[in-house]
Amino acid sequence: MGTNDEMSLTTEHFSASLASTARQILREPFTRQAWSELLYLALGSLLAFVGLAFVLLTMAIGVVLAITFVGLAVLALSLRSARGLGRLNRRLANSLIGEQIEEPERFQSRKGFLGWLQAALRDQTGWRSVAYLVLKAPLATVSIYAALCLWLDAFIYFRSFVEGQQRLPVGIVSAILHTSYATDGSWGTMSRISTLFLAVILLLLAPWAVRLAVFVDRLLMRALLSPDSTTVRVRSLEHARAVTIDESAATLRRIERDLHDGTQAQLVALAMRLGMAKEELALPKKQLELDRVRALVDMAHAQTKEIIVELRDLTRGIHPPALDVGLAGALTTLAARSSVPTDLSVKLNDRPTPAVEAIAYFCVAELLANVAQHADATRASISCTQDGDHLRLIVRDDGVGGARCLDRGTASGGLRGLTDRVAAVDGWLAVESPAQGPTVVTVDLPLAI
Amino acid sequence: MSTTCRVAIAEDSAILRDGLVHLLEGRGFTVTDAVGDAEALHAAIDHDCPDVAIVDIRMPPSFTDEGLIAALELRRSHHGLGILVFSQYVETRYASELLADGAEGVGYLLKDRVADVGDFIEGLRRVASGGTALDPEVVAQLMGISRRAPSIAVLSPREREVLALMAEGRSNRGIAGVLVISEGAVEKHVASIFMKFDLPVSVDDNRRILAVLRYLEA
Repeated sequence: MGTNDEMSLTTEHFSASLASTARQILREPFTRQAWSELLYLALGSLLAFVGLAFVLLTMAIGVVLAITFVGLAVLALSLRSARGLGRLNRRLANSLIGEQIEEPERFQSRKGFLGWLQAALRDQTGWRSVAYLVLKAPLATVSIYAALCLWLDAFIYFRSFVEGQQRLPVGIVSAILHTSYATDGSWGTMSRISTLFLAVILLLLAPWAVRLAVFVDRLLMRALLSPDSTTVRVRSLEHARAVTIDESAATLRRIERDLHDGTQAQLVALAMRLGMAKEELALPKKQLELDRVRALVDMAHAQTKEIIVELRDLTRGIHPPALDVGLAGALTTLAARSSVPTDLSVKLNDRPTPAVEAIAYFCVAELLANVAQHADATRASISCTQDGDHLRLIVRDDGVGGARCLDRGTASGGLRGLTDRVAAVDGWLAVESPAQGPTVVTVDLPLAI
Repeated sequence: MSTTCRVAIAEDSAILRDGLVHLLEGRGFTVTDAVGDAEALHAAIDHDCPDVAIVDIRMPPSFTDEGLIAALELRRSHHGLGILVFSQYVETRYASELLADGAEGVGYLLKDRVADVGDFIEGLRRVASGGTALDPEVVAQLMGISRRAPSIAVLSPREREVLALMAEGRSNRGIAGVLVISEGAVEKHVASIFMKFDLPVSVDDNRRILAVLRYLEA
């Protein structure tokens, strides 16, 4: 019985999903997406044709006049307008098909007319925009033709179905078919139902043809209208620099706070106790109560020891002394101090630079702290291996999982912070943490920065 | 020391707060309340107004200047309440904000001063009875700002020393003790300072300080 039920359930499930897929396919020609893609195809193609014509014309003029200064100026203007056309295209793509392409670096002119000329003629973004226009024009031609065929024919067949014509009307598709199949100028007769059938097929195909064309255009845009690799690199370095500066400022603030709220307050209290003891001792012998003085000195003594412990923890947080010996030793201490039993394996042939060792150490420290706080795990493991000139850290736990990189300041903000810190030295951090666990965090760092 | 002096304490470090309570109660003060943040301080003072409040500048939630803001508000809302701001840093801006409405019943001491219990207690009593207790560090910074003012150039080095000690809130006898000179000599210096600044001589300690601070803020 049970199997039967299950089978019928699976069948039901299958037919339900089939029905929803079918519904989706049938609805496709009437979705907002299909229409905005079509609109993008039309406007984008128009922009490409007009733009290419303009750019080619101005370039031709520029080349012809290149012997004079004016020619070079025209060429430069042409490249600058190609850049503008690229931007227009990006905006169009963003608003109609949701393709978000980062803005390339802004045009940076140099001093004087000659400087401007040189900068404009060497402008990579401008030249890449021209390349885009050159490639886009044929793509636009083909895709507009295909889209017109499908949409228009679907419309023509519908009309003939509604009007009840017996002869097959001449659509563009049938015109093609016609040349290959029919020789007498007609393609024969078709039933009204077959006309409808043909119309529906074309209508269902049409959005997909447009989508394919738009997809190819997306690839072109990503390749040619996005920032070039140098700009991307500069931006990532700028981001890394900002992160590093923020990190070190935050670290200093944390140390200051720890010193202010912890050690300094303790020392003031200690000084106060000793001051009280001193005043007691200054009293005339008759009023002197040694027990009270002893109690004050006892408290001061205990407090001094507390301050020493606090300072030790604080200095360890700034730079763990174990790191001076090497990462392996420092990680051993970390694993041993972790509240969740932790296995450690370190296999390194070369020693990373001190900065990388410190980052690796603090990553492991933070990850182990996360395991202890959030994972509810019974075991954890750290593996540290060398992969060419990279260091690979893997911290695993058998806890509840569900760890994610959220924004700073939230519960998992620490993970986000680690990701940034690691990225700042061209490393990466990957979190794999399904809902039931286990959590595996992989950190990759270059051995030397 | 005839009447008991009533104190409220706002200090977020528990160890320091307890230490202060212990210290003050041992010296015959009545501690009306000891709290850890500015909001609790307002509540404590509204509930039972003391003679003087010791206020830490850095307190939760933001650990910046909550204490100072509370101190300024309390000065405006509770006339006659002495405020002793207690901090690990001297910030000139804090000092001038605190003194902007006059110097009566205002103190600004570094926390380390508590190690010299006698001086600290004396300063606290002074603030409680409407006097002033400024940390030498605070005075030095305020003098630092006003050193550019031309008027200070007219003072002799000795007079400058006397002025600084006056600004801390000390009496003539106190100044004489610190500088190891006779009280009469101090009086002469004070009179000379007031003359050079065109200020009417007064026997009232408080007005002396006000005069000094008015000069310092200039």
